[in-house]
Amino acid sequence: MISQGIASSLTVEISFWVISISTILSAIAVVQIKDLFRASLFLILTFLGVAGLFILLGAEFLAGIQLMIYVGAISVLIIFAILMTREIEISNQSHYMRILVSMVALGFMLLAISLITSTDWNLIDSRSFPQNQTDEIIATVQNSIPTLSKMLLTEYVLAFEMVGVLLLAAVLGALALVREKK
Amino acid sequence: MTIIHFQFLSAILFSLGLYGVLARRSAVLILMSIELMLNAVNINLIGFVAFRGFGQEIQTFGQVLIIFVITIAAAELALAIAIILRIYRNKNSVNVDEMNILKG
Amino acid sequence: MNSFITTDELLLIAPEISMVILATLVIILDLVIKNKSILNFVASFGLLVPIALSFNLLDGTSQFAFAGALRVDYFGVFFKIITLFATLITILISEKYSKKFDDYQGEYYALILISASGMMLLASSVEFITIYIALELSALPLAALITFIRIRSSAESGIKFMVLSALSSAILLYGMVLVYGFTGTTYIEDLSQIINRSLINSELTFGGGALLLGVILITCGFAFKISSAPFHMWAPDVYEGAPTPITAFLSVASKAAGFAVILRIVYSSFSNEQIGMDWSVLIATLSAISMTLGNLIAIQQTNIKRLFAYSTIAQAGYIMVGLAALSSLDGGQDNAGPAGILFYLFGYLLTNFAAFTVITLVSINTNSDSISSYSGLLKRSRLLTLIMTISMISLIGLPPSVGFMAKIYIFGSAMDTGLQWLAIFGVLNSVVSAFYYLKIVKIMLIDENENSEKIQLTTNMSLAGLSCVFGIVILGIFPGSIIEVAHRAVESII
Repeated sequence: MISQGIASSLTVEISFWVISISTILSAIAVVQIKDLFRASLFLILTFLGVAGLFILLGAEFLAGIQLMIYVGAISVLIIFAILMTREIEISNQSHYMRILVSMVALGFMLLAISLITSTDWNLIDSRSFPQNQTDEIIATVQNSIPTLSKMLLTEYVLAFEMVGVLLLAAVLGALALVREKK
Repeated sequence: MTIIHFQFLSAILFSLGLYGVLARRSAVLILMSIELMLNAVNINLIGFVAFRGFGQEIQTFGQVLIIFVITIAAAELALAIAIILRIYRNKNSVNVDEMNILKG
Repeated sequence: MNSFITTDELLLIAPEISMVILATLVIILDLVIKNKSILNFVASFGLLVPIALSFNLLDGTSQFAFAGALRVDYFGVFFKIITLFATLITILISEKYSKKFDDYQGEYYALILISASGMMLLASSVEFITIYIALELSALPLAALITFIRIRSSAESGIKFMVLSALSSAILLYGMVLVYGFTGTTYIEDLSQIINRSLINSELTFGGGALLLGVILITCGFAFKISSAPFHMWAPDVYEGAPTPITAFLSVASKAAGFAVILRIVYSSFSNEQIGMDWSVLIATLSAISMTLGNLIAIQQTNIKRLFAYSTIAQAGYIMVGLAALSSLDGGQDNAGPAGILFYLFGYLLTNFAAFTVITLVSINTNSDSISSYSGLLKRSRLLTLIMTISMISLIGLPPSVGFMAKIYIFGSAMDTGLQWLAIFGVLNSVVSAFYYLKIVKIMLIDENENSEKIQLTTNMSLAGLSCVFGIVILGIFPGSIIEVAHRAVESII
């Protein structure tokens, strides 16, 4: 399935490989490095890599959200937690179950990859999709911020409100847990 | 750069996250691995959105889901860190294996 | 779909909205009043509003709301009512217990209510985003609630629950995304049509790997939520460390919500006619492993909450018998399997809460959760001994209790669909379980205890315990009405 449009240009292709390989390498660093603080810095690198992939596919809005929430908020939270619990020197020793666990993870990866490779992605053709508008494969996300915002407040308004209640619950819970006495 | 590449990237990241969750002992590192898994899901989604040739409505669905996943991940992490702080106040370690009051 | 929210849609989710409003009300009251015992009163009486609104929806019609994300039907409302009753009893038995949380009682009740609203939404959602968010909405407040006691073991249970629930959601999400990517839809009803239309000519089982992987991952994600084997290991630690009323809530309400979604998905998308695969062997094996493992480990427990955690794993196994009957290829004619699940869950609600009323009171009075602290309970409170004994009888599945009827019904459905071995296995397991349930009864009735101080029951506690016991006995003798309701509920989702 060779993609068309901007994806065919060599620059995009090269940047895809650079970004994905660096994302994978930093993800390996996250799960392997003993020092908590460094691991969290590599996690930020992974987040940036994912944001880069979003940009590569033309989803700038999502890339912005990824940068703001993951790189901006979540990483800060994690570093904050590391500093608060002062666990940097303690770090994690090698685990006796490591080998077994890595076999499980490796097994899952191979299973997933083999199942995905064996999938006939054209089996469910685009004719069976409701509201079909495209005949050809496009390699970019359609610039759809207006559609996105409209759907967020019409079709997905319930989910939107539920996430609001969820955030309320998270704030309530976190406050009640962390505060000592009123 | 095709749909398969994104699927592979996502599967590799997801497995790395799974490995991290199972192998790491520090609670913060486990949470970081879960974030890796959620990012893998997001890569998967953006791959589908870009390459599957969905109509605009279905494409938008994928993007809506990415926004929700990111939001919920943030809420989840905030609460988890509150719990970790709570453990830390009781005893100065947050290694899962050292939690020996409860059996494994 | 260009309108925002219509009034009709608001009426359909009125129970959930009123739950969230009630939660907000409790927090606001917590800020302004000094006497915190009013909060329990407000939360429990306020729950009558969503209960009334839910019964109002129980008119047998099925309506879609929010662009098809919710399907408010008899089935969904049935589970809403189960969740509401569970919430009500949880709040009633929290009355004395919540004194432990001194300044944070308002947050405690509010989080219970928000979590319950998530479970209620889960029971009627038919679309992946909504299912995922409702699942998180029910799990996140629970993680906070589990951590509510200011001791270390409670916080450890909390982080364990948090990590495993986040892990299972991530797995579930990965599965859902694969299914979405393959089929291009997230509505579980469209899913079946698309799979049907496209897979009919395909040589690949399941139309290739991605969909299969997606379905496997979704199954794993839900197995976590209902604490079925092999994803049960979180339950004992979490149950032990959590506040006792929350343990009860966790074991009943969140399990019921999990089964509601599983039933919906199995019925509308992955039923055997559509896929042409016999799921029943897989589910039956998991069910058998769950009950055996749960029962065998429960025998060795000395802590009552851990014992109930393993008991709940075993009970999940019994309930999955109904699921196996549903998915067996020659079954599903008279819906006995799924109706049995609904009936069993209702009975389990009454039975488990009767037991947890006693466990909560004893743990407040003796400050211990060990089984030995139940010795001589007969002398300390006759009523509690009665409640606990009846609850144990129902958990074993002896007549005349709802547990007996439910087991007969659910094992009967397995017999009808050619799963005789599973039914026999279930009966054998019930015999094994009698060993540890009756041990508790023996300790209460026969063993001596130097502490013979009477245990005082509050009105709320006795109300909760007695109404559960009353329900256990009445439904054990006249199960007809609830079975009929369960059948109507199942018919509404076909």
